Amino acid sequence: MSRTWIDPLSGFEPEKTPREVATNDYLSPQTTWRETTRFKPKMYKVGRLNFFYKWPGHGGHLWWRTRYWPTRRRVLNIGGSYNRKTLRREKTILDKRPIWWTMAFAGFLLMPFAVPDDLWNTVMTAAAVFGIYAAVNLCWMLIIGTAGIYSLASYAVVGAAAYGATYIAILTGIPWWMLPLAGAAIGLIFGVVIALPAMRLDGFYYALLTLGVVELCRVYVIQSRVFGSATGGLYGAPSYLPDDLSQQDQLLYGYYASLVVMVAALFLYRFVNGRRLGRVLRMAPEKKEAFAAACGVDYRRARVSVFLLSSTAIGAIGGFYASHFGGASPNLFSFDTLLLALAMLVIGGIGRSEGAVAGTAIVVFIDRVLIDWGPLRFVLIGLIMLLVVLFLRDGLFGIKPQFRAWRDKKKSERRATRAEKGGEMLPEEATETENKDEIYYRRFDKMQRDFIKRLVTNEVIEEHRSRPLGQHSEALDRLLIYFRRQGQIDKYAILVTEEFKAYRIVALSGHRGTAPRVVEDKVYPNPNEAYHALFLRRVQDLLEA
Amino acid sequence: MTAQSGRREVLHVDGLSAGWGPMRVIHDLDLNVYAGERVGLVGLNGHGKSTLFLAIAGLSGWQRGSILLDGHEVGRTRSQGPGRYTHLVVRRGLALMPQGDEIFHGLTVEEHLDSGAFTPRAWKERGERKTRILKIFPPLEALMKTPVGRLSGGERRMVSLGRGLMADASLFLVDEPSLGLAPKIGKSVIAALMAVELGGSAMVIAEQNVGLLEGRVDRIIGMHAGKLKGEASVASPLSSKGPAA
Amino acid sequence: MNWSFVIANAITLACIYGTLAIGISLTWSSLGLINMAYGFIFALSGYGAWLASQYIGPNTPVVMAAGILTGVVGGVFVNALAFIPIHDKPNYQLRGLIATLAISLVGNQALLWSFGPRAKSLPQLFGTGSVNILGVVMTADKIGASLSAVVLLTLVLLWMRSSRRGLEIRAMMMNPHAASIVGIGVRQTSFSVMALTGGLAGLASVLLAQTYYVAPFSGITPMVKGLSIALMGGLGSVPGAVIGAVVLGTNEAFTSTLLGGQYVLITQFLLIILILLIRPRGIAGILDKAREA
Repeated sequence: MSRTWIDPLSGFEPEKTPREVATNDYLSPQTTWRETTRFKPKMYKVGRLNFFYKWPGHGGHLWWRTRYWPTRRRVLNIGGSYNRKTLRREKTILDKRPIWWTMAFAGFLLMPFAVPDDLWNTVMTAAAVFGIYAAVNLCWMLIIGTAGIYSLASYAVVGAAAYGATYIAILTGIPWWMLPLAGAAIGLIFGVVIALPAMRLDGFYYALLTLGVVELCRVYVIQSRVFGSATGGLYGAPSYLPDDLSQQDQLLYGYYASLVVMVAALFLYRFVNGRRLGRVLRMAPEKKEAFAAACGVDYRRARVSVFLLSSTAIGAIGGFYASHFGGASPNLFSFDTLLLALAMLVIGGIGRSEGAVAGTAIVVFIDRVLIDWGPLRFVLIGLIMLLVVLFLRDGLFGIKPQFRAWRDKKKSERRATRAEKGGEMLPEEATETENKDEIYYRRFDKMQRDFIKRLVTNEVIEEHRSRPLGQHSEALDRLLIYFRRQGQIDKYAILVTEEFKAYRIVALSGHRGTAPRVVEDKVYPNPNEAYHALFLRRVQDLLEA
Repeated sequence: MTAQSGRREVLHVDGLSAGWGPMRVIHDLDLNVYAGERVGLVGLNGHGKSTLFLAIAGLSGWQRGSILLDGHEVGRTRSQGPGRYTHLVVRRGLALMPQGDEIFHGLTVEEHLDSGAFTPRAWKERGERKTRILKIFPPLEALMKTPVGRLSGGERRMVSLGRGLMADASLFLVDEPSLGLAPKIGKSVIAALMAVELGGSAMVIAEQNVGLLEGRVDRIIGMHAGKLKGEASVASPLSSKGPAA
Repeated sequence: MNWSFVIANAITLACIYGTLAIGISLTWSSLGLINMAYGFIFALSGYGAWLASQYIGPNTPVVMAAGILTGVVGGVFVNALAFIPIHDKPNYQLRGLIATLAISLVGNQALLWSFGPRAKSLPQLFGTGSVNILGVVMTADKIGASLSAVVLLTLVLLWMRSSRRGLEIRAMMMNPHAASIVGIGVRQTSFSVMALTGGLAGLASVLLAQTYYVAPFSGITPMVKGLSIALMGGLGSVPGAVIGAVVLGTNEAFTSTLLGGQYVLITQFLLIILILLIRPRGIAGILDKAREA
């Protein structure tokens, strides 16, 4: 464990025996570096990550790209980069969501051909209902997610528009394509009526108000003879399908028509949420509107415009609903429909269009297709809703960001529990430090301290005690150089109380004008003892750190 | 590093780092507080005194490091959820009197003092404890039935301190008792704190004004930028330009 | 018009709906949770009381105790499922609302599936007979209902003022941060709160079942009424809830006599809309400011 070090300066005095000191075995300063940088994680097969597949090709052409004429929008967002290993350019698809949407649409379009014959009626009616409800939910998602207004009255608007359009159709006999327009007008009026209190109330109070409005509509419609209280709904609206189609074809075309409505709603969602109105509203989230107002953004006007736009759209869909089902029934105003619609939104995730569509699909499927299960299907929907809300922060489509955030947090916690004092920064600090070199400096400092700690042995201390100043062995030298490199703040120094007779140890403050503070009461009779005591103090601080 | 011979460590903090979000306020701090002593913690605003107390109670944004309260480990590596374990830490024997009073504005003074007695024994004895606290803070006697939301700053401070004294805490963390008070009232509050019988407990008082604590506490520790700097005790008193300046 | 009938009805309804409203208000102000599963707890307690009346005996204390205890169990169950897992997670209020809605959905359907859709009735708890007070004829069940509601509510409110648990609940209502500093744990107190409010729902259920019946979905309308009273009176305020209960109970009594039962909800909501437009935070809604943000 120990070797002998021979003082090289004794070569100048060859007649004397060379001075020999016992010292440590040689420890390479590379050891901590090697240990710290050794690759510890589990290794997998070499190769490219499959889902970041890169194609050869330029990827950054500025002069020739496939675009949707007449816009300048590219078909897929492809990014190119230069691979330094293979010395070629390669490209990768940055955003794969258009592909998923296209696949979903293809699935929707081809779905009728995959339905077994005995379930055709159930599935196709359910699918048409899915299309219409998805459209309504998308517009509702605009109100709740983008505008942040917790309105529960969307289906009431659908109902009002459906009833109104049917009534007008019965009275005046307008053709089917005017029904959505009439519905849109009714939706706008209704929207204005409901939007006014939204300025004064907010949050749950407003939700209660809209609940009241829904209940009002329901009771009124059940009472009113004009609106078909006797027949359980108002019927007689013209359908957009020709009358001579077979029932199978009717269902098929009805389904495709509601798909068209859903696509229109998706376009509306994209245009509102993805463009200026959506941006303005994202600047003014709940409880932080003051910030937006301070930036000169009129968030109230934005909210109201989104609300009115959605109401008009919902009204138009209501007109289509009347045309599709031939009328309207009061169960649009019931608490059950509201609960199911809320389930559709929540399961998918509030604030995302794919969430609205997926949530609607799941709930409509369970509700309409699995109808043999009876009340058990509501239990299933409720359970899914409960699980989604308990575990997922933001619905099904929020799983990916939530998982990533959780994984990063676990990594940093594990690192923090392993880290000793003065070690790694937690990611929270590391991402926000101004000078990123600080991170690497601390890592280096820790490695260095680990190495230096291993150099402290009894031999080294004894060597310093015998000769504090002068030529030192390699281990002691490294130790002393490390000590000399630490900063001035709290640096130990020797205070000469009386020349050659009394010495004390003090700690420098590091600030000009501030006197050093006394560390201990002991007085040393000669400098060597003082030096050694200082060294011991520094060693103790090192070992504690 | 090792406890001084014969003295029990009420608080032993080892390598505590704590902060709020991206901001790290306390950097690898070590602190020992022994039984029966009063420690003053001085430093300017924003240098981490309050965060230190909150971290010991588990109320900081995130924290890391070991905290031994009476030998029990109450510190844990935590990066979210401040306050989740605070009531457990408090029941281990911690009385935190935070900066600016945390009061229940609808409860009366008497109910406030009652709420401080959370152990069954303290609850049974709450009558006598209240009398004892009224001796320490006499002005509260007339205000026993007033809702605390209507009291003045000094009275609220007294209620908040009295509440902390109701249970049998082994560590009292008092954060800036004279903050926002008129100098005379501040002095009386500090005098009342000094009059509290510690027994086997310890008290740490954080203050900006060193003069209020000088000579009345056993130790004064300076805090600067999240690290402890400088210590002065009765044996080696502070110079006029102490290390915390 | 039979004034005495209207007044008697109004008083009884006010008492019962006031109980529900106080329960909802209490849950909101101490836990920040709008308990939409309250209707489910209501219906569940009704069935619990009915089972007790079938298998143990139709005496009043047994049935009432069974109803209240089932309510307590239901409240604790909802707490464990909807509050504890998410109370410190992001987006908690909306998630709590949806979670309780989901529990309500599942629970009501489960009740429908186990007990069938036919309504059950509870035995007459207070006997028949009537008393004439100042010209107002009050039948025994109405007196019994109002009295029990008032007495038990007063007991509960007194308990809240004098016991340690009650102090903890009130402290948490005002300042949850300070409450943790005084050793009041949010989770432990939430069980107390939900058990208490569940018991209140159980009481209301047993009392209301005297006039109506016990059915799987019988909890929804009373809960909506209780919720509207609580919101109208200002979430978190017991005096506001009491005032709101009186107003809405009177309204319901008048409407059902003058216009007919189906119009009750219309008039009720019109009244609520009016009040909310004048005072957007409810009649006594000051506490809400402490809860927000």
